[in-house]
Amino acid sequence: MAAALTNQLHALVNNMFATGLLDDQFQQLQMLQDSSAPDFVSEVVTLFCDDGERIIGELARQLDKPNVDFDRVDSFAHQLKGSSASVGAQQVKNTCIQFREFCQQRSRDGCLKTLDLVRTEFYDLRNKFQVMLQVLPNVLKIHLTLSIEFH
Amino acid sequence: MARKMIRVLLVEDEEIHRVMARAAVKAAAGTEDDVLDLAENGAAAVRRVREVAPYDLILMDRQMPVMDGHEATRRIRAMGVTTPIVAVSSDGLPADVEAFIGAGADYFTPKPLSKEKLGNILAKFGLT
Repeated sequence: MAAALTNQLHALVNNMFATGLLDDQFQQLQMLQDSSAPDFVSEVVTLFCDDGERIIGELARQLDKPNVDFDRVDSFAHQLKGSSASVGAQQVKNTCIQFREFCQQRSRDGCLKTLDLVRTEFYDLRNKFQVMLQVLPNVLKIHLTLSIEFH
Repeated sequence: MARKMIRVLLVEDEEIHRVMARAAVKAAAGTEDDVLDLAENGAAAVRRVREVAPYDLILMDRQMPVMDGHEATRRIRAMGVTTPIVAVSSDGLPADVEAFIGAGADYFTPKPLSKEKLGNILAKFGLT
């Protein structure tokens, strides 16, 4: 069971790298996790997911206004870009870059189309992160139990 | 010989970047003894610099409520503070970097912070 769960986790993460959802920054994140911060990856991923949901909601609200404040929209897109970059969410980050270009152009249509895209990409990634966070504690628990049994 | 403890001020409004920076500073510095103070915007940073014992390093975000990183950097320099200020921002366009350096920052590094980037920064300013 330990091997099956570990394999499941590896397969999920490898797929996320292979499909361009994640970049090297996610590995940097994993390298910052240690025994003194065993939940570091989980903490950062959770913050990203919470921030992303909030920001996407704000972007939709801002773009729904009769007079769009593109500087404010850009500010939210900038925030999402930053938090995406922190977790290695490459695809979402790149879409945020496009989003900001439409903000510079003051294009509501461009922003709305890109919002749809970023929303789809974000929720796809969030779903995969949620699976990862559900499997990860069990994998860690099993590995810890195994290491205790062999000492 | 043990390195002296260093005091770092992180000026950052977003929690995810604070968590990342805290982990990167701890990983790069390699000790629990170093102090990492937090300011949630530029105005809070200016107050802390004025009121707290000198910092060895200031990590400054750009986009923040109340007072942004450019203005906070200008005001800290206007106080005569020579502590190294490293601008940390998701925006890495030449114009953004020049604006920060023009305001008085010593260096710029793009987000996200990492152990390697922090290590390079600490080495650059003789804090290792």
